[in-house]
Amino acid sequence: MTTCTERPEVAHRTIEDLDRAARRVLATNWRQHATVPAARLYPHQWSWDSAFVAIGLRHLSPARAQRELESLFGAQWRDGRVPHIVFDPHVPADAYFPGPSFWRSGAVPEAPAVPTSGIVQPPAHALAVWLTYRADPATARARGFLSRLYPRLVEWHRYLMTRRDLTGSGLMSVVHPWESGLDNSPAWDTPLSRVTPVPAGEFTRRDLDHAAAADRPTDTDYGRYVRLARDYRDAGYADSLRVHGFAVEDPLCNALLAAGEDALASMAVELGRDPRPHRSAAARLTGTLTATLYDPAAGMFFARDAHTGKLIRSYSVGGLVPLVVPGLPVAAELIRTALGDRFRLRDACPLPSYDLTAGDHDPGRYWRGPGWINTSWLFWHGLRLHGEPSLAEDLRQRLLDRVRDAGFREYLDPLTGAGHGTDGFSWTAALILDLIRAP
Amino acid sequence: MIKLSCQEQLLPGHTLQEKFEFARDAGYDGIELRARGDFAFRDRLPELRRAARDGVVMPSVCVDMSHFFAAFDPDLRRDAVAQLKSQLSVIAEVGGPGAVACTPASWGMFSRRLPPFEPPRSEPEDRAVLLDGLAELGGHAARVGATLALEPLNRYEDHMINRLEQAVELIDAVGLPSVKVLADTYHMNIEEDEPTSALVRAAAHLGHVQVSDSNRFQPGAGHLDWAALLGTLDALGYQGYLALECRLRGEPATAVAAVPGFLRRHDVSALV
Repeated sequence: MTTCTERPEVAHRTIEDLDRAARRVLATNWRQHATVPAARLYPHQWSWDSAFVAIGLRHLSPARAQRELESLFGAQWRDGRVPHIVFDPHVPADAYFPGPSFWRSGAVPEAPAVPTSGIVQPPAHALAVWLTYRADPATARARGFLSRLYPRLVEWHRYLMTRRDLTGSGLMSVVHPWESGLDNSPAWDTPLSRVTPVPAGEFTRRDLDHAAAADRPTDTDYGRYVRLARDYRDAGYADSLRVHGFAVEDPLCNALLAAGEDALASMAVELGRDPRPHRSAAARLTGTLTATLYDPAAGMFFARDAHTGKLIRSYSVGGLVPLVVPGLPVAAELIRTALGDRFRLRDACPLPSYDLTAGDHDPGRYWRGPGWINTSWLFWHGLRLHGEPSLAEDLRQRLLDRVRDAGFREYLDPLTGAGHGTDGFSWTAALILDLIRAP
Repeated sequence: MIKLSCQEQLLPGHTLQEKFEFARDAGYDGIELRARGDFAFRDRLPELRRAARDGVVMPSVCVDMSHFFAAFDPDLRRDAVAQLKSQLSVIAEVGGPGAVACTPASWGMFSRRLPPFEPPRSEPEDRAVLLDGLAELGGHAARVGATLALEPLNRYEDHMINRLEQAVELIDAVGLPSVKVLADTYHMNIEEDEPTSALVRAAAHLGHVQVSDSNRFQPGAGHLDWAALLGTLDALGYQGYLALECRLRGEPATAVAAVPGFLRRHDVSALV
């Protein structure tokens, strides 16, 4: 029997084999209260990874999926933020950089007792909580899952919609490329170029121990990431444009926030509370998102630099993710863009992270070309939401085929299907499980 | 699709044929036999052969004695080995391909958690006894075409093998494919940090599974995460039986009959 951390010797032949292999990854990466994204490269709990993991884990064990999300929100800060990493104190301190000694959350009054990072990741959690709840409402009710998570999700969204509204536009900003989920996206090159890198000698990367350097961000970019995180930490994790050298209003996060408010409205109904504040927040976010970040000529959402107020006209997959927003007024235009040459929805798979026609498209390098399963899953979810069942089904089949051939890799070349990054990657396995079992 | 069996003493009926009829109606696929000492199991051969001829599925046998192959007393040890060899031979004949005989190292002989805390035999001596016994039993199992399944028990019932990884280590040292690990969900709930993680690590050596809930009652009566356990076992490629070995909460026949429905409801491996 091969363990799932090895590359599969033969492709998973049947859908049953693939299903079984996906569950094997989730069982292997489970750490008693949460799932690590990958056993060696990412040995702690990551915020949006846990959201995607829960969406698949609910098919293996609804109770376990609930615990995944509960343990993440158990590390929520008192100011409402959900940290992008919750560190496992039993993992050696130098296993991941930047680790607890870099973030120093223990010195922050708002932070929990368990060590965490101080930045956030895209708010996919409300959607994940709702899907997890729906997988087994009886168990969820017995465990008080929704009644405990709902107020925490409300606080999380409140933090993003108030403290992270840096421009007064009504949209949230991400203040670090790692917060965007699309860490090394070319969209961030221009705003990032204003940031002075920390010299490479002042920190030790750990990501290169496990992945090929050609696939990962350069040392200079990494130095900029370190600078931004250090400045934020040294400001006591205060949020303002004076603190944040990098700040962008990005479509992926704001779309997940809007879709999340919609999910919160469903939860409120289930709990006998008033759903109207969430419905109006969803409507307001959808309106502002479309009015501010959508470019009708391009048929695409772009991020906006919070410092300059300018749209960053870079075709990143994040600009397609607003399809997850129920009632999005420009869904048809967005799908047309996805079908065009830049993303080639009908044959490139997973959905490329970046414009296939761009001169600097790189099919192997982190978020600068290859495709991820999570953004493809979000787009698939959006296709179903907006009445495109045949496009959704086609995408689903091709995603299953890709992973059947390549294994549960972190990301894939969208044209050749070659796998990149770590293997045994949790959200790849979780979302494949969800795609297999999609009703 | 999981395969379920039920230990014979839990089933109503006077004969194995009657018990199997009840079991099949309830959704079980087989019966796990129990083997007493003094070669009582061998003496049941005519009865077992008749049952096998009548289509009763009996893929495994679980030892039901007061002494075991790693007993402190050498005479008891020798007898336990002789009994188990005989049980392996019988189950190989009546159990069909993949037949399994189960045993712990010992049961109720000593616990490091109870006075006098220090066993009369050292750890290296324990190990030598375990390896000798497993080699002899494993050799016999291979000759007769059966599998010996070694069962870790919780700390209050045995002092030598409490976790799957301890059994795996011994089995690796013995090096016989005819010796495998028995995973019992009740003992695992007490001893393993995370039962499904222990199963992942022991997957290559897993030979048999016994099920009961966290409180030793039937699955469903306690708080084990059956969806996670069953989904993991299937994901690891385990194709053997899950044998019900438990106490019963409620009216016995009703309790036994409810288990297959409960487990299949929580079996996430079947794609719908």
